[in-house]
Amino acid sequence: MRPIIALFGKSPFGPLAQHAEQVRATVDLIHPLVESFLAGDRDRTYELYEQISKLEHKADIIKNDIRDHLPKSLLMPVDRGDVLTFLKEQDSLADRAEDVGVLVTMRDTRAPDAMKDAVMSLVDAILEAATAWFRIAAELPTLEGASFAGPEVDRMMDQIKKVSNLEWEADKRQAEATRVMFEHEAEIGPVSVVLWMNIFRALGSVADHAENTADLLRVMLAKR
Amino acid sequence: MTVGLIIMAAVLIGGLYMAWGIGANDVANAMGTSVGSGALTLLSAIILAGVLEFAGSVLIGASVTQTISKGIVDTQLFDITGRYGDRGPTILALGMLCALVAAAAWLHIATHIGLPVSTTHSIVGAVMGIGLVSFGIRGVDWGTMGGIVASWVISPVLGGILAFVSFWAIRRYILASPDPVLATVRTTPYIVAAVAAVMVLSFIYKVLKNRMDVPPILLALAVAIGVGVIVGIMTAAFTRSLAPPPGMKPYDFVERVFALLQIGTACFVAFAHGANDVANAVGPVAAVVSIYQAGFASVPAEVGVPLWVLVLGGAGIVVGLATLGYRVIATIGKEITEITPTRGFSAEFGAATTVLLASTLGLPVSTTHTLVGAVIGVGFARGIGALNLRIIRNIVNSWLATVPVSAAAAAVLFAIARLFV
Repeated sequence: MRPIIALFGKSPFGPLAQHAEQVRATVDLIHPLVESFLAGDRDRTYELYEQISKLEHKADIIKNDIRDHLPKSLLMPVDRGDVLTFLKEQDSLADRAEDVGVLVTMRDTRAPDAMKDAVMSLVDAILEAATAWFRIAAELPTLEGASFAGPEVDRMMDQIKKVSNLEWEADKRQAEATRVMFEHEAEIGPVSVVLWMNIFRALGSVADHAENTADLLRVMLAKR
Repeated sequence: MTVGLIIMAAVLIGGLYMAWGIGANDVANAMGTSVGSGALTLLSAIILAGVLEFAGSVLIGASVTQTISKGIVDTQLFDITGRYGDRGPTILALGMLCALVAAAAWLHIATHIGLPVSTTHSIVGAVMGIGLVSFGIRGVDWGTMGGIVASWVISPVLGGILAFVSFWAIRRYILASPDPVLATVRTTPYIVAAVAAVMVLSFIYKVLKNRMDVPPILLALAVAIGVGVIVGIMTAAFTRSLAPPPGMKPYDFVERVFALLQIGTACFVAFAHGANDVANAVGPVAAVVSIYQAGFASVPAEVGVPLWVLVLGGAGIVVGLATLGYRVIATIGKEITEITPTRGFSAEFGAATTVLLASTLGLPVSTTHTLVGAVIGVGFARGIGALNLRIIRNIVNSWLATVPVSAAAAAVLFAIARLFV
């Protein structure tokens, strides 16, 4: 055994960026999913749900692989606990995307045309927040190269604030979409109301988890 | 006398074999990362390593060689006035041969079963075994032995601290600066000056020590700083015009410059490694040669290490490097991609400074373990993505195993061989 080779563990930052990329592929499908759901195209909706489910599973595999390579004896530039929580939060984006897929395929829930704009505007907002996060996640290896110091960190801190603002915007759109939905409560019926509430909650929490993940990176950077 | 000649020939072959093994296996630690990062081609790495290993062995190698040839075992106990009478010198020569054979055999077996053993620990343990089997507890100079064991703990820690400080400074003044490119261009001459000064210091100190009446350390310091300043100014003239090619990211530029600087520290490691590790091969040889020159009639108390013995050891290391070492360098270069030039530079600077200091003091330390300590130091400065600290436990275990095992192996071998003279 060569001690100098055995000394080096697998750095988690490259794989974390890779995990983010996989989560992004999953989350990106929310847009066509909700679109086809609103259009009433059940086959297409189900097809997209299955795709999301597959991509989410792939993200899980990367997640578990990262966890397997993080034994307690590892010395890292950031706290191991922070990395694990971070990974869990980032993975939740994909989980919530899958939840949306389940919710829109479990029942033939109809949406009045008047709701469609509000729903799509909510979807756009959460995707914007998530995308802002994914752009940061792609830079994780660069941050490692800069050893979590310097102008690179300042730039990331600014971007993290942006994610927070976008999440706030998504919250407002969620409230707006819910309000529009209740305007039509008589038209869609109580069962659909319950389902829509859950869809909105799942959509909103995609943005929430993007913000949480960004906040965890902020914590890691602040400990420098 | 014929027995003496046979022992002399055998210990020469054994020493050369050991030197070959050191060149084949251990030199890779110095050059592996530079080859891996593309800063050096395999061929230029071998040539540079060969030259510097040889220079380190011949110029600085004598101190540690003396420690192994007569510091661990009280060789005077083997003089003709001692317990063994006329046979004393021959028995000591035989003992040194047994130590060499036992250390080499244990290295082979341990490497085969995957233990992270160190050449230094093997040979020190084996020589200690010879002292123990000949004269029991009083056959070993426990003061020297204590110092050696302490240096095994101190050297990785000191290497770690120096590497930590180096990388901390690089992080603080280059990576974290608003303009890493400008910071690199401005800082590089100082870094080169520091490396040059440290490298020159121990060499000058050694040279002056034997020839001057003035306190050599002060003069050596003055010369080293002078050389450092000159080298720094020369570097500044070169770096002033450095700029990243269009489209290159600032951190990539920093790493590219440090890839060049890392060639310097890799050479530094090779030099320090030669200075320290040549003794593992030629320590026993030097002991036998001094007895041989006294016609096996006495054990000389105060003799230096003949230059040709160091040349022989240095040459053995170079041959090992050329015949097998290049393959190990290529392997290490491929395996360690996590360490970028800024990190490699810091680790190598910390390790080489420590090893060279130990060599100057005549302390046989493990170059590999010091380098491991230095890399961990960079890790603590948040420089490396993931380091497996379990290796520390493995290394400590290998100390605990290697010293007794090689001591016992040498003792058994010696106890049997002794019956025939």
